[in-house]
Amino acid sequence: MTPLWYVVGFGVAGVSFVFLTIGAAWLISHRTRGDQHKGLPYESGIDTYGDTHGRFGLSFYIYALLFVAFDIEVIFIYLWAIAFQDLLLGGFISMLIFVAILLLGLAYAWRKGVLNWR
Amino acid sequence: MTFVARTWNRLTIPGRVLLGLLLLGGLLTVGLALLIIFSEPILELLGANLPLVRFVAAATAVLLMTIPTAFLIIYMEMKIIALMNLRVGPDRVGPFGSLLSVVHGLKVLMKEDFTPTGADASVFTLAPVVTYLASVMTLLVIPFAPGLFGQDMNIALLYFFAISGLGVVGLLMGGWSSFNKYSLLGGLRSAAQVISYEVPLVLSVVGLLILAGTMSLNQLVLNQAGWFTDWYIWQQPLGFLIFFIAATAEANRTPFDLTEADSEIVAGFATEYSGMRFGFFFFAEYVNVFIVSALTVTLFFGGWNAPFPFPDIGLALDPGSLGIALLILVAVVPLVGILILALPFYLLRSSMPFWQALIIGFVLFNVVAVAAVLGWAFVSLEWVAGLLWFMLKTYSFVFIFVWMRGTLPRVRIDQLMGFAWKWLLPASLLNLFVTAAAVIVVRELRG
Repeated sequence: MTPLWYVVGFGVAGVSFVFLTIGAAWLISHRTRGDQHKGLPYESGIDTYGDTHGRFGLSFYIYALLFVAFDIEVIFIYLWAIAFQDLLLGGFISMLIFVAILLLGLAYAWRKGVLNWR
Repeated sequence: MTFVARTWNRLTIPGRVLLGLLLLGGLLTVGLALLIIFSEPILELLGANLPLVRFVAAATAVLLMTIPTAFLIIYMEMKIIALMNLRVGPDRVGPFGSLLSVVHGLKVLMKEDFTPTGADASVFTLAPVVTYLASVMTLLVIPFAPGLFGQDMNIALLYFFAISGLGVVGLLMGGWSSFNKYSLLGGLRSAAQVISYEVPLVLSVVGLLILAGTMSLNQLVLNQAGWFTDWYIWQQPLGFLIFFIAATAEANRTPFDLTEADSEIVAGFATEYSGMRFGFFFFAEYVNVFIVSALTVTLFFGGWNAPFPFPDIGLALDPGSLGIALLILVAVVPLVGILILALPFYLLRSSMPFWQALIIGFVLFNVVAVAAVLGWAFVSLEWVAGLLWFMLKTYSFVFIFVWMRGTLPRVRIDQLMGFAWKWLLPASLLNLFVTAAAVIVVRELRG
């Protein structure tokens, strides 16, 4: 069995475990119909108004962008780190250049004040 | 049918319990007999599919292990924080209130599992599944003891971060599908926090990877064998610090628990959840605490290695060689042991009837026997000793997490986000390059 099938099989086992438990809970828990107020979203006890999926802060989106830039870099850095004992000085300098380019992006975002939460 | 129902109704409660036990015992006996009769073909079938058997055993063990782990951590949290606040904490259910978290679990299981009117029902149900799966699937690569791990992958660490990063999808799903403004904000906040701390978290271990030259967690643990000075914490103190802070934020623990900042956004993404779906969110959270501690121990504190080279005192005992003496041993030792342990109580306290002394002796003998068996296993079985050291270290870190919750206040969200990007990320890159430079310098000096 290859590791991939191991992971997939484990995922299937985990999903079935969760659904079995939720199903068992559904069987033994009590349910009431309730009136129309029961189904309302809980927003501190007052009836909800306005659009729920309305507008929210743009900063979330910018953090997601920064995350994508740095997290993809990580895959590359990991492989570099594993092979570093063979690369040594050449690897060090090339990684310095690679990270410097990425840090330019971070410095730009920092300068623009994106990193300050508003 | 009516006959059975009428008979059942006439029975008293002990009678019902007895009947149930009898039926269960009968079924077990039949099953055991069938197993013994068909043992040969069954064993052959299992032997032919050994990897499959290993997989089923590992999956079952890991999934079932999460339940007592979560209960234990919830109890630890209730009791330790209570003691830190000079309260008594849970003390009603079970000895020292230790069964309270089990009761909590049963209560959550029996609560109404409710879906609000506007919610997207399918996404609403899938969200806790994704969160729980993302935390549990990482247990697959954690080496608990020598030979006791789900799978020894050569990219284990990358797999770990990839899978645990998926948890944020579950939070977003829960926040979006709840049709509640608090949930939506809570989900987005959790997502922003988790992805911000994901970057320093994964970059902080790169220094360690440079030193180790492998991503297999099993190999990393083997690299740290020997004295406790061989652990990576001494070579990567900054890396450990960044890793620990980022991991705290990743597990949504105090002081970074803004996802459930109940004073600001009710309960965050979990506002609309109830019943077992809510249960799985918090199940996942407590399993996450264990996993983060386990990974810290594996990476920086030598995993299942003892802090010093443990003397090898294997007690070789072959039960088969004793023959008839084994039978006498099994029959006589418990009796004599119980009597000897009961004797002082009977002699010293004249008011005690002999049966009470016998019960005390029986309990004491069991304690002694279990301790003796565990001690024997510890010195002669490698994986028992490894598991014990691993659990000891892991629960020390769980205790530190609980301790932080009892001590530290919650940070503000702008401090939280700024800290990740302005301090932790540059510090982890610095750690990376200093380690790389140090490796080069050491190479040059050694020639």
